[in-house]
Amino acid sequence: MGSPVKKIMLCSSEKEIFSVEEQVMVQHSVIINNMIEDGSYNHEESKIPLDCVDSKTLKKVIDYCTHHTHHHNDNQEDLEAWDAQFLNVDSNGLYDLLMAANYLEIRNLLDLIYGTIKNMIKGKKIDEIRRIFNIKDHGFTPEEEEQNRKEYPHFY
Amino acid sequence: MKQEQKSIHDILPVELIHIILLRVPAKHLASLRCVSKLWYSLISDPHFAELHFHHSPASSNALIFIQKGSVACLVYLDALFSDDNDASSQVKEVCLPLKKEPPSHLAVLGSCRGFVLLHGHPEFLVLWNPLTGSSRRISYSDIDSRSEYNGFRLPYSPQLYGFGYDASRDDYLVVVAWSQWERQDHFDCLSLRTNSWIYLDTALPKPLRIFAHQPCGLFLNGAIHWLVFPVKAYSVAIFIFDLKERAFSTIYAPEQLPCSYSYPNLALLGGCLALYYHNDDSYSTDIWVMKEYKVHSSWTLYQIPCLYFRPLCLSNNGDIIGEQFLWDKVEKRRFLIYNVGELLPRVKYSCSVYNISSTMLCIQRVSCHSLVTLRIRITRSRRGRKTAIKFTKNVLNNLMSLKVSITKDSNKERELGANIQVNSSTHGEKNI
Repeated sequence: MGSPVKKIMLCSSEKEIFSVEEQVMVQHSVIINNMIEDGSYNHEESKIPLDCVDSKTLKKVIDYCTHHTHHHNDNQEDLEAWDAQFLNVDSNGLYDLLMAANYLEIRNLLDLIYGTIKNMIKGKKIDEIRRIFNIKDHGFTPEEEEQNRKEYPHFY
Repeated sequence: MKQEQKSIHDILPVELIHIILLRVPAKHLASLRCVSKLWYSLISDPHFAELHFHHSPASSNALIFIQKGSVACLVYLDALFSDDNDASSQVKEVCLPLKKEPPSHLAVLGSCRGFVLLHGHPEFLVLWNPLTGSSRRISYSDIDSRSEYNGFRLPYSPQLYGFGYDASRDDYLVVVAWSQWERQDHFDCLSLRTNSWIYLDTALPKPLRIFAHQPCGLFLNGAIHWLVFPVKAYSVAIFIFDLKERAFSTIYAPEQLPCSYSYPNLALLGGCLALYYHNDDSYSTDIWVMKEYKVHSSWTLYQIPCLYFRPLCLSNNGDIIGEQFLWDKVEKRRFLIYNVGELLPRVKYSCSVYNISSTMLCIQRVSCHSLVTLRIRITRSRRGRKTAIKFTKNVLNNLMSLKVSITKDSNKERELGANIQVNSSTHGEKNI
């Protein structure tokens, strides 16, 4: 227990620096694991630049990885409840998290987000899906849209 | 401070939307095509259908039967037994592909990869995907003109027929074994890719002295299977026609199969061949499942404590779903599910359907496959073809890399997510 916890530095798009336990990120992110393994990360001076992840999202991602590292022995129900609470964000926040998890290759977080979005889609009417995902420009011509609505009225 | 919510199209690169759609169960995909042109293009892409078919986590089995009018009905068997009691997710009505034909003449013959083979009068076939509406009409007047019968009709005249997919040639095939009066046997095979008949008489086992009470074969593992009763032997055999090799082989039913009961029937259960028959002695339906394909020693018996049970498919949990014939209550179909592991306790479900006399067929996995890869003219005439093709170019590279990576790893859900690199440059590149 005596040895100091090894930390790594992550840098958000706003150039804010986050110091995280190395083990936490290595365990969850394939990209960071590769960087540490192939020695491209220098603990003295490197920072990992995450230009497409903003501070707010990065903080969430770190929260997720930290929680799942330290609570992986918790029972499934507790973890699922925590995950549900964790993903209680607006749709923009959800997309940002998805992009970040995809960039960092955090597989269990990706599964969680994909599953959540899938459930937002499943069994919904088209108008509802457009509202949920804020799709205003659907790209169909007015004629095509009218034809679709006429042909598949039960979808809408 | 409330931030303005952006459209999913403006934020997520198309690759990620693609992955999201890959995870949605097939039965929801048809309606999602109308959400936006982008989603339409993604879902209509043949490569998407292929990826989805092989890698989507949950498969949906559906019963299909023709209703009155130009409507067919899909009953999603998995949804029937799920906790979700929403009737709209259990039964869906779909329009038959031939609106002008007298619909009473359409019959359901067989299914393969989400496609259904329909027979129409006078003498034509229709290959149809009830989920996407993609369809193609096929003539078999070629056989009719060579046959000495008057009015060769596919469901009744041939000894054996079937419908399947040859992955090595990316081709759908319809095969028909039929006989002339002088007992010359013919075996004809229609390739949908070349739209021509191939005569394969020499491939037939000789002599073809068989009786088959289910002349329509079942498609599994790239081959069509028929249960046959050789006329001069007291054995039950399964004829296998391999669509790639274009050759027949035979496997035999388990020796323990009694000959005193009703004729056994062939079924598909969770990707395995199964034989079932009604056992009057034990008042049960006995189901023999060939757990390993073509391995005779793997025949395993399951006794369902219900006489007149017709197994239809396996649920996603591996339970046997089937139908019980009811003689007294003809307005209802009763579906049952049996947990195989725990001494077969039964769960009941009744579902009222309207056209009880119509043949029911179980589509083992509904899919969004289309016939566009077959290049020849198809009768699918929905909208949006142009976009689909234009779009394909853009996503094809990603799809191909996806395909390679997921076939390597059984843990495909995760791999799917992990194998697409997104960087800030793709972020801006959303309006393709």
